[in-house]
Amino acid sequence: MFSISSAHVTLEVKLGLKVTGRCALTFKAVSGTFFYEMEQDIKRFLGSLQPEFDLAFRTVTDSYGYIWIVFEGKSIEDLLAGLTATGDIVEERGFSDQLLAAVIEFANERQGGQQYLIYNYRRNNFYPFVPTGHKTRDIEQEMKMMSAVGEEMLFEKDMTLWYPLWDLPLRSRG
Amino acid sequence: MIIKQIRHKVHVYAKKAPWQQRDNGLTARIIVSFAVLTILYMVFLSVLAYVGFGAIPTAIIAGIMIMAQWYFSDKIVLWSTGAKIVSREQFPELHDLVERIVARNNLPKPRIAVINTKMPNAFATGKTPKSSIVTVTTGLMDELETEELEGVIAHELSHIKNRDVLVLTLASLFSTVAWYLMRFSFYGGMYGGYGGRRDSGGGIAFVLLVAVFTWLVSFLIIRAISRYREFAANRDGALMTGKPSKLASALLKISGTMKRMPTQDLRQMESMNAFFIIPALSGTSFTNLFSTHPPVDQRVKKLMEMEAAMS
Repeated sequence: MFSISSAHVTLEVKLGLKVTGRCALTFKAVSGTFFYEMEQDIKRFLGSLQPEFDLAFRTVTDSYGYIWIVFEGKSIEDLLAGLTATGDIVEERGFSDQLLAAVIEFANERQGGQQYLIYNYRRNNFYPFVPTGHKTRDIEQEMKMMSAVGEEMLFEKDMTLWYPLWDLPLRSRG
Repeated sequence: MIIKQIRHKVHVYAKKAPWQQRDNGLTARIIVSFAVLTILYMVFLSVLAYVGFGAIPTAIIAGIMIMAQWYFSDKIVLWSTGAKIVSREQFPELHDLVERIVARNNLPKPRIAVINTKMPNAFATGKTPKSSIVTVTTGLMDELETEELEGVIAHELSHIKNRDVLVLTLASLFSTVAWYLMRFSFYGGMYGGYGGRRDSGGGIAFVLLVAVFTWLVSFLIIRAISRYREFAANRDGALMTGKPSKLASALLKISGTMKRMPTQDLRQMESMNAFFIIPALSGTSFTNLFSTHPPVDQRVKKLMEMEAAMS
């Protein structure tokens, strides 16, 4: 996960992509008090970090039944620490199978729109995702991202596994 | 649940097969045509050698045959693939596109041929840059955007410019000559050693063994050369248009990778356990050794590196 802290520099230099200060982690929600406790745990833990870390967070449940912990912060280090710590809590509670993905948001001032690096917990690697609409993506731009940072991080080389995450809830909806 | 997984496995596999076929279909037809011709020559020359025709006259006949094949290679390729030379009146846009690239890069304009098939593909033939032919399928023109088509045609033009047809013909010639040398030296040895007893079973097996070995080695060498020339043509073609990423996306479209780009959401795929199935299907080292073209992802990667360096 921390390979992002150097890869984001490469993305900025090569493609003009900047970290927007938004990232998120998603895992599948299952019913049961155990899971509810874990949720509270995460909230308490992140709440306790608030003064030291410049990090705001909120939780969203999407239409697929996945829980999203969405972070907002200025420093990439804080964002990554938040993602990693949350991932650890989920794993400690024995829900590592439920962890799906972490998403880091980038943007290019000239191009507009958001571009993402998705970390797939199952495959333990990253892939790019550049949505251009509700169900469309810019594969050329995704390939550019791969050629920029594909060598310096664990990267998914098989493009047929670049599964989209449509309608990411990173931007607050209303 | 298990049935669901198996079904998915079949689904993924079935998806992969037609893509591999489509990339190789045209090449296969050309290879088969030439292979049949080569076998015909060999049978003919073997018969000549068997009936006691001298080594030197046989070598001369073999030389004439190879020259004839060289001379008619364009016609054989056009005939075996069903490609038709098209005039400017028939395909004005295609002619314009080719002219744009050759004018910009100071190359002679090749003849243009079209194959009427939905499978997207293209190839170049020709002994010299001036007499060369660039062939595209109607499927290629339908599927690609103008800039992508430009990339593909520039790639084919670089094959012509780099004289890849000549290089590969010479490489194949080497294997043919090696075959004949092996045959004749064997017969020579037979005459000396066994007093003309030609039809010993062990002898035939030995010839077969050496022949297969010669063929296999030259086959692998030709493939290695061919893959290297592909990379070179990608690089030069991308330089001609100045847009490596367009050729990269054309390659992804032709290979079917673009179609196999997932549209299904990661959250849906997760419930199908897709990630445990797919890695089991990758066994590429064998196909790497035998294919004439480098894998698409390697070619795309190199092109995107060029793109990154150019922008």
